[in-house]
Amino acid sequence: MATVKDLLKAKFTQVWYVTPTSTVSDALKLLAEQQIGAVLVVEAGKIVGIFSERDFARKALLPEVNLGTPVGDLMVRGVYYVTPDQSVESCMAMMTAKRFRHLPVLEDGKLVGVISIGDVIRQIMSEKDSTIQSLEDYIWVHMI
Amino acid sequence: MATVNNLLLHKGKDVWSVQADSTVRETLQLMGEKNIGAVLVMENQKIVGIFSERDYARHASRRGSMLLEEPIHSLMTHSVYYVSPVQTVEEVMALMTSKKIRHLPVMENERLVGLISIGDVVKQIMSDKETTILGLENYILGRDYSG
Repeated sequence: MATVKDLLKAKFTQVWYVTPTSTVSDALKLLAEQQIGAVLVVEAGKIVGIFSERDFARKALLPEVNLGTPVGDLMVRGVYYVTPDQSVESCMAMMTAKRFRHLPVLEDGKLVGVISIGDVIRQIMSEKDSTIQSLEDYIWVHMI
Repeated sequence: MATVNNLLLHKGKDVWSVQADSTVRETLQLMGEKNIGAVLVMENQKIVGIFSERDYARHASRRGSMLLEEPIHSLMTHSVYYVSPVQTVEEVMALMTSKKIRHLPVMENERLVGLISIGDVVKQIMSDKETTILGLENYILGRDYSG
């Protein structure tokens, strides 16, 4: 069964991040340029939060929020993460239960990548397809 | 194979929409209350577009403003894609993947009957594959479906 490590190998993993003092405007520009839905917020080499299009849309109505607001004020703290040896299924379960689209990958406390719900689904679908294929092959060879 | 109709049966046919002249503020409020990522934009009971969290983030960034009092029709994506209830979930998945869209309106006889998200589609396809695997395993082991 595939692990997070396999996913990271399969894609080019550039991790985009901002700092808590970056402005909302900086973060949105990065999201647009890289065509991504969320960025990590990193301070002194540590992940302190995540900031997504959803966080922006939800908090935009607060009177104190504008494009100059520091990302640190709007980010979601307490980021969930996974490790490279975890199974892809366990990531899927976490993403579904918590309704996350992105999870950072940490190895020995160091950030080594980010996986998205799209990566996870593609992997699980392709595993199911190969299971179906081998069951069908077995039936052709042994039973017909 | 599952169709869009099957999906709508599971999730119900509630579709949240706003009018084209609604403000961004009103629209974001609705999306927050319903905890949804996109709403349809209607004018004279016809769909004229779709507005998502992504549309908001991109426009606010490009125009350097929160745009809260803007009418939604100036920020929406003019929606050109929709599906019909008889299409298979695989067709819908292919369309969403190739166009990089997360939501599609469902139209039947030019009437809006639902809105489906990539999450709905993926859940259905996964469960179809599970059922196929179980069926094949049972066939190999000589079990019938009731056993």
